[in-house]
Amino acid sequence: MLETGVRQLRMALSMVWGRPFHTDSLTRLVADAVATIDEFGELGLEAREVIETPFADDADRVDHADRSLRRTARRLAELSPFYAEWFAAHGFQARTADATTLLGLPVTTKDHLMSRPRDFVCRGSQPHLATRTTGTTGRALEVWLSRYELEVAAALGALSAVLHDELHGGDLMQVHVSSRATAAVQLSAMTCRLVGARCRVLGIIAVDDALDALAGSATTMSVNASYLAELVVAAQRRGLGPADFRLRRIDCVSEILSPAVRAAAEQVLGAPVSDNFGMTEVIPVTGTSCSAGHLHHDLTMGHVEVLGLRSGVAAMPGELGTLVVTPYFPYRECMPVLRYDTRDVVRQLPGPVDCEQAGIPATSAVLGKATQLIEVTPERVITPRELVEAVEDLPSRPWPARFHAEPEDGRLRIDLPAGAVAGLSNAGLTDHFAERGLDAQVRVLEDHRAPGLRRVRSDLRELSFAAAEPVGA
Amino acid sequence: MSTPTSATLPTLLALCVAITGTLITIALCVLYLRRVRMDRPAIGTFNGSDIVVLFGFIVALPLFYLILPLTPLLVALGLTFTSALVIGLRPMIGPTATWIVVGIVIAANIWMGRTMLGTVVGWQLFWIENDILVVCAAVTTANLYVQGGMRLRHVAWFGLILAVYDAIFTFVWPVTNTLAQRFIGWPFDPSVGFRIGIYNATIGLGDLLVYGLFVIAALKAYGPRAARGATIIAVLCGAVVPALLPVLTDVFIDARTDVIVPAQAAFGPAAFLYYRWLRRTYGAERTMAGFLGELDVDRPSTPALAASVP
Ligand SMILES: [Zn+2]
Repeated sequence: MLETGVRQLRMALSMVWGRPFHTDSLTRLVADAVATIDEFGELGLEAREVIETPFADDADRVDHADRSLRRTARRLAELSPFYAEWFAAHGFQARTADATTLLGLPVTTKDHLMSRPRDFVCRGSQPHLATRTTGTTGRALEVWLSRYELEVAAALGALSAVLHDELHGGDLMQVHVSSRATAAVQLSAMTCRLVGARCRVLGIIAVDDALDALAGSATTMSVNASYLAELVVAAQRRGLGPADFRLRRIDCVSEILSPAVRAAAEQVLGAPVSDNFGMTEVIPVTGTSCSAGHLHHDLTMGHVEVLGLRSGVAAMPGELGTLVVTPYFPYRECMPVLRYDTRDVVRQLPGPVDCEQAGIPATSAVLGKATQLIEVTPERVITPRELVEAVEDLPSRPWPARFHAEPEDGRLRIDLPAGAVAGLSNAGLTDHFAERGLDAQVRVLEDHRAPGLRRVRSDLRELSFAAAEPVGA
Repeated sequence: MSTPTSATLPTLLALCVAITGTLITIALCVLYLRRVRMDRPAIGTFNGSDIVVLFGFIVALPLFYLILPLTPLLVALGLTFTSALVIGLRPMIGPTATWIVVGIVIAANIWMGRTMLGTVVGWQLFWIENDILVVCAAVTTANLYVQGGMRLRHVAWFGLILAVYDAIFTFVWPVTNTLAQRFIGWPFDPSVGFRIGIYNATIGLGDLLVYGLFVIAALKAYGPRAARGATIIAVLCGAVVPALLPVLTDVFIDARTDVIVPAQAAFGPAAFLYYRWLRRTYGAERTMAGFLGELDVDRPSTPALAASVP
């Protein structure tokens, strides 16, 4: 008990003063939390305040951001070859950096990282694990993480999961993200190990194999939205229902999760689905969705900005913007980025929110990649989310959505495979999209062209000798 | 007619004080455990390293007591009692009433310790007031530990280590005696005691704390039946045997004829053996969550044994 207090204090001091975490102490603190639950059935009151920085007010929040940014920038100026040069080139003073002066520094893009990856590795850090982005846009980017970063992220993740009862010793976590997303896979396994839960990493395998493993066994699942959609379709085809599963939560990461797929997943698999934001480049900064559909951003481990797509400065309420994220030291130390432009588009909320996470700043959910926005007219920009939600809401339930859309004569043209529009007339289709705010004309294509229309992560099938599964079927 | 120097009266007095003190402490510990839920930290449960820390305190504390002048020592003791009482009473009667009650009890202790010790009746009244204070502190502390996750295994090992410690410090290096002497007649005497005639008999706060811990840890781990067994051991080995030993030999009666016995030396081994027996018979201990889930249920013995019982 006394040791636990000391460990908590050490963690709190690291969080407040920005000193590197003592990873052994942090790891043992997770074990303490698990032992506490074993003994008492639950943690004591005020447990959440242990890892969540309780910001008293906006000034408190700004102060935390300013101090964390200055600490992070000073370290980068000293140790990161890229940022030493970048700061000098743009006259950015790391010593006096804060959330305001940061606005004067151009964002770091994926191109920067792709072209000079080695210059992002901080001197003196020890890269341990390479992880590659598995997004559907462009070439894969390689990010190196140190052992320290993984241990800190896993321990803080495990602590948070235990505190929120998202994971406990009796759980079996089944992981369906690409096996090449090594950081996500590794962190899942490490988190389970710390909590004493079982972990089954399967990757993007044949859905029937995944369902066989899932049924009556796994209690939590980490999955991409497109693969979740395939699982739900397959489960329904096989006549499986909530009684066949033991799931108590489903964590959906990356990709657009439509309300239709989410509702069906909750109904068929019998567990609530949480929709989270996370990105390899900005680990461990994450966002979580609330019941109102907002994306709430973690402000303890990183700085999150929304920059207007056109203006490049802080987005106005209601405006579309790209998420620009800065993970703080001491959470990231090996190959950190500052003001990283994720190109994930969100909408700045028009006003204050009153959901269950009202204290945590929020934006809309991620609406898609900036490169995939469709400008029908200068006033009307259509986001991938609108399209995915509308297509996945079709009566035929064509999941995951396969479509292509582009502007044509001031309207939107949507190409859909024949299977997706089954049972609907042309007028019916136009009405369907009009009801969802989309003035669109539909062009029907042959079904075999479906997989080429829109790439999703569940296309990254991992093959086995046993199952010959037609990909994208 | 026996003379006042005979061993009968001090022995009887010691026996009465020890048995009464032990039984009242145990009863209140059990009542408190069943009725009152104390606050606990967000994360943390009692574990083996806490025993080490606790023992470190117990070893270091008497040395402190011997080194420190009396005034800071009394202040430290007063603060210790105050915090123990506040922690224990607050979950029952709320913060305001707690501070009022604690203020009165502490103030009365100081006042009585300074003014009433001229007569035997004064002594007796002081002892009664001090005894209430000490028993409350023992009950609170025992519950703080057990409700904080301390297990019977921890208590058993703790008792065993204390037995060795107690024997050494009573016979080899008699700090315990010096200590007991030092506090008598001052406020915040960390023992339950009483006076008849020229005799003072006491049983230490530490002893009572260990007995209380042992019984409620047994109750938590294995249920009321195990707690009754633990009570018998605490009373016999912790109170009766130490009180009767001076009848057999006079090494326990010091120059002032106050009875000084290493009570833990008899209790520790017995408690440890009892714990081993419980564990072998009934299996793993219940957790606090398990205890609260089935408050008055005895642990069934392990299946193999249960089958052999008709
Ligand atoms: Zn919200």
